[in-house]
Amino acid sequence: MAIPQPSILTAPASAESELVSLARSGDAAACDELARRFRQPAYLLALQLLGDQEDALDVAQDSLLRFFTKLHRFRSGLPVKPWLLSIVRNRALDLVRRKKVRRAEPLENEEGDYRPELIDHGVDPETDYARRELKERLWRALGLLPANQREILVLRDYQDLSYAEIARVLDVPVGTVMSRLHRARAGLRVLLEREGSAGFPRSTAL
Amino acid sequence: MSKNPPLFDESLLSGYLDGELTQAESQRVRLHLETDPEARRIFDDLSRMRQAARGTRFRLPDDRQWDERPKHSGSRLARDAGWLLLAIWLVATTGFGLYHLAVSPEGLWLKLTIFAPLSGIALLFGSTVLDRLKTLPTDRYRRVEK
Repeated sequence: MAIPQPSILTAPASAESELVSLARSGDAAACDELARRFRQPAYLLALQLLGDQEDALDVAQDSLLRFFTKLHRFRSGLPVKPWLLSIVRNRALDLVRRKKVRRAEPLENEEGDYRPELIDHGVDPETDYARRELKERLWRALGLLPANQREILVLRDYQDLSYAEIARVLDVPVGTVMSRLHRARAGLRVLLEREGSAGFPRSTAL
Repeated sequence: MSKNPPLFDESLLSGYLDGELTQAESQRVRLHLETDPEARRIFDDLSRMRQAARGTRFRLPDDRQWDERPKHSGSRLARDAGWLLLAIWLVATTGFGLYHLAVSPEGLWLKLTIFAPLSGIALLFGSTVLDRLKTLPTDRYRRVEK
């Protein structure tokens, strides 16, 4: 099955379950809309797990292909995003196992392609700089965490999934999510504090 | 005999931060934060970290970059089949060449110079395949839909 071309989108914003039903029946506009809605989150998760833009694009596109191929198995009424992200996660893990591509410091790139770009630019350059610095340090520290802690932090804090959705993506009980997430956050906090005299900038306004 | 206060589960701080606790649990955390400065400090740090993460934006690929990827299961299959045929050709050609090298009257050093690197590549490939086969029975993700 083909991945729809978002550039020819004509479908109006519709309820997700309705879109899925239409896509199942072969409606091209519904497929377009689903692809448009979910290809960037898929890419972002792949990038956040792999730290490499090209690999992330490959994984995201491949996951979308699988998503549309397996759409008939999807249970109506459930949110699409966790299901797609679980496919992305499994594809990314596969790639990590095959190529050992996971970088410890995904932000370090000559072209700066993977540097996070801020959208909130305040009036105070000093505060802007401090914000950006904290975000970059946080992202670098995230790359040093074990894979299972990194992925749960990405799903919660960067992808904004609820605990129930994270449980679905990781295939673990909801009760496990909170404890695992807290371990990851505590580990990240320790890493930030260990960063030398600058430490974790307690006074940084975000 | 005095009673010790019940131990506070620190992971509740994350649940509270994410708004995932029940009303009773939230109340318990609120009270704990008022009385324990260390817990308050941890909570404030976690809160700052979460805010920083949520405010982080990444450069996204443009349409051209998406367009360069295979868009059909057919084209992906063709690409995979292409790589497979190329691999088969490489193995067959290398095997054929090595056989002729082995039976040729050339000197031992020349044979070793050609044979050693090719054997090295074959062994590296073989070790990867063996690792994959060994981890297959215990692979926790193998039954997960990909």
